[in-house]
Amino acid sequence: MTDYAAPRTSRARTPVEVSRLAAQRLGLPAGWWGMLMLIASEGTLMGCFLATYWYLRIRAPHWPPDGIPEPRVVVPMTLAGVLLLTSVPMHLASRAVRAGRLAATRWFLLIALLVQTGYFAYEVDDFGNQLRSFQPARDAYASIYYTLLGADHGHVLIGMLLNVWLLLKLSTGLTMYRLNATVAIAWYWHFVNVLTVVVIGSLTSVHVV
Amino acid sequence: MATIEFPAEQRVDRLERQWQSKPGVLGWLTTTDHKRIGILYFWTTLVLFGIGGTEAMLMRTQLIEPNNHVLGPASYDRVFTLHGITMIFFFIIPMTTGAFGNYLVPLMIGARDMAFPRMNMLSYWVFLGSGIFLYLGLASGNGPNGAWFGFTPLTLRLFDPSRGADFYALALIFNGIASSLTSSNLIVTMFKLRAPGMSFNRLPTFCYAFLAAAFGLLFALPALSADCIYLFLDRNHGTHFFDPSKGGSNLLWQHLFWFFGHPEVYILIVPAFGIATAIIPAFTQRKIVAYPLVAIAELLVVFIGFGVWAHHMFVVGMPTISVVFFAAATAMVVIPSAIQVFSWCMSLITGMPRFRTPLLFIAGFIWMFVNGGLTGIMFVAVPFDQQVHDTYFVIAHFHYIIFGAAVFPIFGGMYYWFPKLTGKLYFERPGQICFWVIFAGTNLLFFPMYIVGLLGMPRQIYTYSSGMGWDAYNAAESAGAYLTALGIVLLFANLVVSYFKGEPAGPDPWNAPTLEWATSSPPPDFNFAVIPTVSSAYPNWDAEDRERDARKLADGVMVLEEGHEQPVSTTVDGRFAEVIEMPHSSPWPLVLGVCIALVFGALVIGHYGIAGIFGVLCLLSLFGWHWKEPQES
Amino acid sequence: MRRVAVMQWIGLFVAPLAWWGQHLVGQAIAQAQCSVADTTWHVSNRAWQIGLLVGAGLLILASEAAAVVAYRRTDEEDYESPPPVGRIQLISVAAMTTNLIFLVIVLLDGIASIVDTQCRQS
Repeated sequence: MTDYAAPRTSRARTPVEVSRLAAQRLGLPAGWWGMLMLIASEGTLMGCFLATYWYLRIRAPHWPPDGIPEPRVVVPMTLAGVLLLTSVPMHLASRAVRAGRLAATRWFLLIALLVQTGYFAYEVDDFGNQLRSFQPARDAYASIYYTLLGADHGHVLIGMLLNVWLLLKLSTGLTMYRLNATVAIAWYWHFVNVLTVVVIGSLTSVHVV
Repeated sequence: MATIEFPAEQRVDRLERQWQSKPGVLGWLTTTDHKRIGILYFWTTLVLFGIGGTEAMLMRTQLIEPNNHVLGPASYDRVFTLHGITMIFFFIIPMTTGAFGNYLVPLMIGARDMAFPRMNMLSYWVFLGSGIFLYLGLASGNGPNGAWFGFTPLTLRLFDPSRGADFYALALIFNGIASSLTSSNLIVTMFKLRAPGMSFNRLPTFCYAFLAAAFGLLFALPALSADCIYLFLDRNHGTHFFDPSKGGSNLLWQHLFWFFGHPEVYILIVPAFGIATAIIPAFTQRKIVAYPLVAIAELLVVFIGFGVWAHHMFVVGMPTISVVFFAAATAMVVIPSAIQVFSWCMSLITGMPRFRTPLLFIAGFIWMFVNGGLTGIMFVAVPFDQQVHDTYFVIAHFHYIIFGAAVFPIFGGMYYWFPKLTGKLYFERPGQICFWVIFAGTNLLFFPMYIVGLLGMPRQIYTYSSGMGWDAYNAAESAGAYLTALGIVLLFANLVVSYFKGEPAGPDPWNAPTLEWATSSPPPDFNFAVIPTVSSAYPNWDAEDRERDARKLADGVMVLEEGHEQPVSTTVDGRFAEVIEMPHSSPWPLVLGVCIALVFGALVIGHYGIAGIFGVLCLLSLFGWHWKEPQES
Repeated sequence: MRRVAVMQWIGLFVAPLAWWGQHLVGQAIAQAQCSVADTTWHVSNRAWQIGLLVGAGLLILASEAAAVVAYRRTDEEDYESPPPVGRIQLISVAAMTTNLIFLVIVLLDGIASIVDTQCRQS
């Protein structure tokens, strides 16, 4: 027997109402599935870049080719680890918003955004420094190196813009739409953070494999 | 039929006011109604089908006799390249997923719209933009000429100094965005917006097919995008992805392309399988045989299809120990298709078939698909594949599959759902005649290609010498092409005349089992006044449930007329989860679509700064799009 | 019923993922053995292929067992019954069929890549 009494979740206007209706509804909302679709698509794209890296690598007698310095390990992996840690405030933001704690949600998002911005600023500067050392048009190694790394940085930038938008939205209150967005964007960040570790791990794996 | 009481009429009025589209051209430009979007896709893809068909006719006219002069070699290269790209990316994919999928899936699952209505409209604008973009390339003398699969190094700057391959690479990325958006939308719609009670064991097989195609598109398109990005970078920024002298590899192009390309061909035919499994129960008046196996076979064929890509590369010199993985998977990928063929045939044999025009097209489709599928299995044998690779044998195989297994069901589907979209019946006798003309024409067109391929005629050649023993076969193929074109013209002429002069159809002329036949023809803007009660996989045959719906309308149960409302269910079992407010008309999809088109336009002419500015405009459009939440509009 | 539902999902998803893993890793290892990188990495193709075949084969068999359990526990209804029982029946019937197909693919390419490990062009 189908229960016809399901909540009209778009009507919730206060954090308490939003939290209560979110707890009542069954399953994952459509917006979260939409984010999963984006993650699937972008994850596959980055997977293709990674597969390209390894495909070209197994064909190369020297990797990196002579004349290109091996990538640093400690700083990139540490920074990737720092970015991975931003999954913690993002997850806490996701939990706080479902509990209706709007102020806590904003703080967690802000902390995450500050760390992500610091990470991104360093990486942009480092990217520029590396370009002075060897260019994408040098050989296939350089081509895939910059494409893979650049694509990863691009995903971080998109995530930062999403966080900015979300903070702006949450500055005027909480609706179910914004709750769904907070959780969806947290998932996006988990994806980007894991992706970054895999990308940096692959690029720096020349030291171990 | 239950009498509608006065309160029920008021409810229907309220629904009409909530859901009606804006009037006039502005209404069409800003619509988010899945039915209008489906119709836009339908007409646009028909125009592109006509263009692709004209390209086919030019090729067949050039090849009707040896040493012909209708097209020179350079023009011929552009024509077969554009024919392949147009038919695959701009006809079959958008016609099946964009037109049939958008229009029918929400109706079949008892929903009022797709999960993301504005994104749906955006996907149409992006699709339209990508088609215009590609043909602007041709019009500006930069038509791509490297075949639809664009192998490097032929498409690199050294061998194609024009911008043809740039238009090719960017158009495919551009078009891929539209298909990715549509596929995401279809998946989430089918997961979340099913009428309460429609669990996975009650989902129509049509929906399983479109789910399979959508998953296929979602995971396959990124590989093509990656390839096209590399191609664009190699051609314009001196990178070396495909340059063996600098550590690159031309096989990289082929691996990535076919990783996309093989699932793509299943994506082309699986929606057509869905159309077949929708039509057969209606015209045999029995449930489809082996429903669980048919449902899983739809998904399985696409899933295994992701593992067979290198069977397109059996001649490139890969080591045997790598090739065996693909040969094994290719041998087994036929099984899910065979399961479906047996199911269709057994349903026809054990039902009470009425061979009206839609079922005739499905019968023709089964013939063509088995024909093409059997020759596909022959390619599993690597030595045989190496002999017939790049000959007309391959062209015959995939045209039997694509024309037979994708286009025939599309034609059948046009006839089958014509009454639903227009409220009119088509003329039956002309419909049957045009089926036979098309069936005869396509077999005459494509069967001799098997023979001439085995006789050694390579594909993608603009002419051939006499005395090769190919003349009569080519002449027959060209005659078949003209006959097929005649049949297609008759098909559309019949539909046009039927639109103006056909008898009224009523909501359900076929006594069909799926939910789109439970509402009026054409459906109202809100699709269903009452969200339907579902307790089987053939809901329109459940008379008790349909009567229950009529009573619910009178009582105001599951009418959801307090806004632009849509019920959301749990993914697996379809339990009623929440009621959400859906977005209504919006200009933002059009604005964002234009901005995306401008980005690609700037990229293809090499103005990256301007492309960046348009990219920022895209971000601002997204900001504007999400400024107002659905419940606020 | 909850345990039966878990069996159903194991039955449906584990075998395809096992095949996919064996397929991707197997043909990548095969390509790596026949590439320049093998001079540094010394890929033992046969060892990898045996491992992948055994691993994937066992996972697929476990998946099939789970599907059979889910099927038998819900056998009193058919797939047209209301969910969750009808849905579990449908999915377990589907899974029992697909798992056999995956097993055959894995056996075919696993055995072939163990028997023939020459790096010659096909």
